[in-house]
Amino acid sequence: MARVVVVTSGKGGVGKTTSCASIGTALAMQGYRTVLIDFDVGLRNLDLVMGCERRVVYDLINVTTGEAKLSQALIKDKRLDGLYMLPASQTRDKDALTYEGVGEVIDALKEEFDFIICDSPAGIERGAILAMYYADEAIVVSNPEVSSVRDSDRIIGLLDSKTRRAEEGETVKAQLLITRYDPERVEHSDMMSMQDIEEILAIPVVGVIPESPAVLRASNQGIPVVHDTPSDAGQAYSDTVARFLGEEKPMRFVELERKGLFSRMFGGRR
Amino acid sequence: MKRLREFFQKENDHSADVARERLKMMISQDRMQRSQPDFLPRLQSELVEVIKRYTQSEQSDIQISYHSLPQRAQIELNVSWPRNTP
Repeated sequence: MARVVVVTSGKGGVGKTTSCASIGTALAMQGYRTVLIDFDVGLRNLDLVMGCERRVVYDLINVTTGEAKLSQALIKDKRLDGLYMLPASQTRDKDALTYEGVGEVIDALKEEFDFIICDSPAGIERGAILAMYYADEAIVVSNPEVSSVRDSDRIIGLLDSKTRRAEEGETVKAQLLITRYDPERVEHSDMMSMQDIEEILAIPVVGVIPESPAVLRASNQGIPVVHDTPSDAGQAYSDTVARFLGEEKPMRFVELERKGLFSRMFGGRR
Repeated sequence: MKRLREFFQKENDHSADVARERLKMMISQDRMQRSQPDFLPRLQSELVEVIKRYTQSEQSDIQISYHSLPQRAQIELNVSWPRNTP
């Protein structure tokens, strides 16, 4: 049975698209047939992060309006079998996307895939609601920052009221993904801890991604950071997906690494 | 050196605690507002208007609060006004 998962946050720039790319990639690495849908009409970016921007011909709206077949619009990942993406339209107006159209596309994808990952646009407008509407589960991405946490709470409220599951009296299972986490600043009480955020938002943490230069390096190259297996962020994403699939894994990269004398003297500033 | 830094940093210290407290406050307010019916602000302003027509109440003498109970919703109205002293 296919699982429809929305990656959402409310606030922009917290790492939805980056997370979406790495979560989808990690699922495909585990052998699950996975498709990523970019819902950010007019601000398409998932294709860039996935490194397939030059192969975009048709997009989601072309499929919903019948101008292209689903199979024509799906872009196969060049690194992994069983990983596909459906790009957002870059030019059309946002109202071109309809609930019925999206519902039909998702129903068709359910026949072919194990996971359908919806990359939500920022905000709480129509596009964000549309991205979450058909979701069975949600991954709420948040930074340890007041504005991001507050917006995440708004989004959790919308998941409880504006989705199809909510309309049918069911719930969308929401889990929290904290990004840009800096254990050193948490240690100095200059950043809210994972526990603080979890307590405030009252949903379970599925993963914590440390602030890491690997993330920018990966998006520069169009390779999801989870492919960078030696990197902390890459490992944190693969742990996240293991937990998402029900595995028990302790959180890594959430404690401050005690620096030795040598690196304290010569390591310089981070 | 570390002492010195801590001394100067004291005022900025523990900003995470401040963030947490502000957020808790803000989010509980947000959640309350979210559960309120859309007509509440209009109802409130109309109630205030009617009450002012009959009493010498100031805006601050009229308190309206909304409570969401498991089975019912409730508004609580507290009005006071100055006695007419001859």
